[in-house]
Amino acid sequence: MHRTGIRRFHLARDVEEALSLLSAYGDGGALLAGGVDLLRGPPGQVEGLIDITGIGLSQVGEARGGLAVGATTTLTEILKNPAASAYVGGILCEVFRQVAVPPLRNMATLGGALVSAHPWGDIPTALVALGAEVRWRGEREGKAPVEELYRGEFRGLFRSAVATEILFPPWNGAFAYEKIGRARYDIALLNSCCGVGIRDGVVAWARVAVGARPDRGERLPWAEQALVGQKPRESLWGEIQDLVQGQVEVGDDRRAGAVWRRHTAGVLVRRALVRATEKAGR
Amino acid sequence: MKITFNLNRVPQYLDVEPGEPLLSLLRLLGMKSVKEGCGTGDCGACTVLVNGRAVRSCLMLAPQIQGKKVLTLEGLGTVDDPHPLQKAFLDSGAVQCGFCTPGMVLVAYELLLRNDNPTRDEVAEAISGNLCRCTGYVKIVDAVLLAAQWKREGRWR
Repeated sequence: MHRTGIRRFHLARDVEEALSLLSAYGDGGALLAGGVDLLRGPPGQVEGLIDITGIGLSQVGEARGGLAVGATTTLTEILKNPAASAYVGGILCEVFRQVAVPPLRNMATLGGALVSAHPWGDIPTALVALGAEVRWRGEREGKAPVEELYRGEFRGLFRSAVATEILFPPWNGAFAYEKIGRARYDIALLNSCCGVGIRDGVVAWARVAVGARPDRGERLPWAEQALVGQKPRESLWGEIQDLVQGQVEVGDDRRAGAVWRRHTAGVLVRRALVRATEKAGR
Repeated sequence: MKITFNLNRVPQYLDVEPGEPLLSLLRLLGMKSVKEGCGTGDCGACTVLVNGRAVRSCLMLAPQIQGKKVLTLEGLGTVDDPHPLQKAFLDSGAVQCGFCTPGMVLVAYELLLRNDNPTRDEVAEAISGNLCRCTGYVKIVDAVLLAAQWKREGRWR
């Protein structure tokens, strides 16, 4: 059991106090919510830890037809919340039930998953597919789509800011999530979150994201464009599977090879699209 | 730093190191049911309940339990007076080497507090994060279902 180099621990009372402490520590300070990642790795440079679980950021509510989730809300709290369970046919619960195991879901927070942004994570892929936005408080208040944030140097931002809320927009359609891991509780070797809206018998909009490629989840806009305006049918799913297998950017890591990932990405996208379309038609 | 919390229904007032893992604190306090297996949150041997929720004590720091209620197996029952859930594990043959047993019992306890009529799949999901290298899990699931039956029959104290 390793010990950390942490010399001070603060229970922040509000966002202002958390920001003030973070500023005072500079690079030696870190925010703590679920803490799942903190003790998993080797002791780091963190000298002062600022616990933000008591600053009022643990709540779930409807917002502008969508959903607003406080950054320190645990995955279990979201799973138990009626508004979150109802959001777009229960897609958040479908994803979160596949994240780790119940005791870790009791600890892990949505904001933590967003900021840690592990490339093999289930949640970043879903956040990107669902068009989630994050609000934060730092020197100034800010808000940005998670997808946009992940394209830049977002880790620097959260060294001096507190993620406060994750906003999920309303969608008139349905999403489905597919994942392959070595075991039930394991991280993803590959994952995909896809959504469709059907109007007058054709695909009105589509969202296709693939993660753990091994890079973090990203949307595949060319696959989405190929779906819009098309009538959902078996041959369309086959065409999209071929398209993804031909164009998706994948790589090797110690968990899986690029050849397997390229093939499987097409299969997962197809499975997710078929399920999302079935759900959208209900 | 000074913290106050409730351990197995007994108030504690302690001076702890800011970086002290909860697991090591609990073992120092004599809670030897809390085991270190992997040390990375994967095996479940260090599971305890904090405010009624199962967590990994190897991934928590002692200061994080300030003001909270912690339950370990020592707070559930004793050798002479085991909790019905512990008795169900014994009666079902769900205990072999015993290393995983405290964590298994506590995740089952969390499940049964909220659902006293779980399905086999729900029990399997509840214990999915706790590794056992001896039993093959079948007897453990049997034990949890037996304990659930006893709870429905009003045999839990």
